[in-house]
Amino acid sequence: MSVAVRFEDVTVSFNGRTAVSAASFTIPAGKRTAMVGPNGGGKTTLARVLLGLLTPDRGRVTFLDDAGRELPRPRIGYLPQRSTLSPQAPVTGLDLVGLALAPGPGFGMSRAVEAEARRALSRAGLADELATRPVGRLSGGQRQRVLLARAIAGTPALLLLDEPDTALDAEGMKTLRRLAAEEVAAGRTIVYVTHDSDAMGGADAVFRIDGRVVEETRS
Amino acid sequence: MIEFFAFPFFQRALAAGFIVAVVCGALSFFVVLRRLAFVGSGVSHGAFGGVALAALVGAPPGLGALVAALAVALATAKASDDGELTEDTAVGVFTVAAMAIGVVAISFLETNVDLFGLMFGNILTVDPKDLLALGAASLLVLTLLTLYFRPLLLASIDEDGAFAAGVNVTRMRLLVLVLLALTVVVALKVVGILLVSALLVLPGAVARSLTSRWPGFLLGSIGASLAMVLGGLLLSVALDVPSGAAIILTGTLCFLGSVAAGRLRRRA
Repeated sequence: MSVAVRFEDVTVSFNGRTAVSAASFTIPAGKRTAMVGPNGGGKTTLARVLLGLLTPDRGRVTFLDDAGRELPRPRIGYLPQRSTLSPQAPVTGLDLVGLALAPGPGFGMSRAVEAEARRALSRAGLADELATRPVGRLSGGQRQRVLLARAIAGTPALLLLDEPDTALDAEGMKTLRRLAAEEVAAGRTIVYVTHDSDAMGGADAVFRIDGRVVEETRS
Repeated sequence: MIEFFAFPFFQRALAAGFIVAVVCGALSFFVVLRRLAFVGSGVSHGAFGGVALAALVGAPPGLGALVAALAVALATAKASDDGELTEDTAVGVFTVAAMAIGVVAISFLETNVDLFGLMFGNILTVDPKDLLALGAASLLVLTLLTLYFRPLLLASIDEDGAFAAGVNVTRMRLLVLVLLALTVVVALKVVGILLVSALLVLPGAVARSLTSRWPGFLLGSIGASLAMVLGGLLLSVALDVPSGAAIILTGTLCFLGSVAAGRLRRRA
């Protein structure tokens, strides 16, 4: 099942300053969509609203299935521009992806979760011996692959990538483009926030955001 | 010193020390991970106001400490969630308010309060009723920690990532603060208000210097806590010094040793 995302009249303010005003648009299901725009234009704000990290002052975000029916918020794979993951966190990449896959109450990791976490790390291009190394002992690029693996693990219906071209190195971007093509082919919806809509090798829909949606292009 | 083991008061002290060490060691893992050392100190100092108020109205001191510690913890969580204050500012404000209430309450008391015992604790005076309450409260804290370990760990190391994975990070922050308040009350009788915050920080700090994986960190924190509490207790009996201070000094030595060992390990 593919998931579309509808923004209706979304308005967000910070300390009295409006970051996004009355944004209404629909991200198509099973496609690659880029949200582009200048710094401070509100594209990351809309991404955080989509993720649920921010509650809009007005308006709402809804998730729709192939038949246009409303869905509860699905699991969203998220690659942040700047991760809040502490570099000193006492976890390995395998721990982190496993925790994100099964974050519910409990202790430890089941074999099925571990197998899925290993698969995601391998797809993200992290060598097996690095998967069990503490994240603090990984290079910046290797840590980004762990975060990429966390985003794609468990086949989320929607993948949200916040400025992946600044978060990942050239090799990481190559892997991401390959993964994005595989995910879209499997019916997943991919949304990315970027300065460059070609960063992911082209987008099916592009929304230009500058305080509101100023332009919409579909191919 | 062997003859001490035959005395019921010493057996109770060892049992109480064991329980407090396990609870503080387990929670210290999250205190160090979430950088809550100041919050832990604030919540324990806030409990002072509750103990004094309880003495004024004739309520059990443990209940007063629990209510005050929870009030400081919840007020801190609310103020920082609303974005009005940062966590350290909020805890600073509510702690001094709770302590001031305690001082005012004490000034109205006609009987003397054992302030030294309150501040530094005395594990050797633990009675069977205290031990039972200690066991029940500790069981509650350890059960909640075990049940919510995974979401707590994820929210402690990567808040945005945890949110994206579906963890209610606000609830997890609140849970840690409530567990902190409960643990403060659990440890109060053993090490007192001034030293309980050290017992919440030192075990985790010792383990953190020695390991970079969470299982070793967690087990090391509990182990260091046991070494501190039981070692300190034996030291206090052997040298005839206050138990709370002996426990913390043992912990400080463990910490210095772990820092040195950690440096040697990194050089090797």
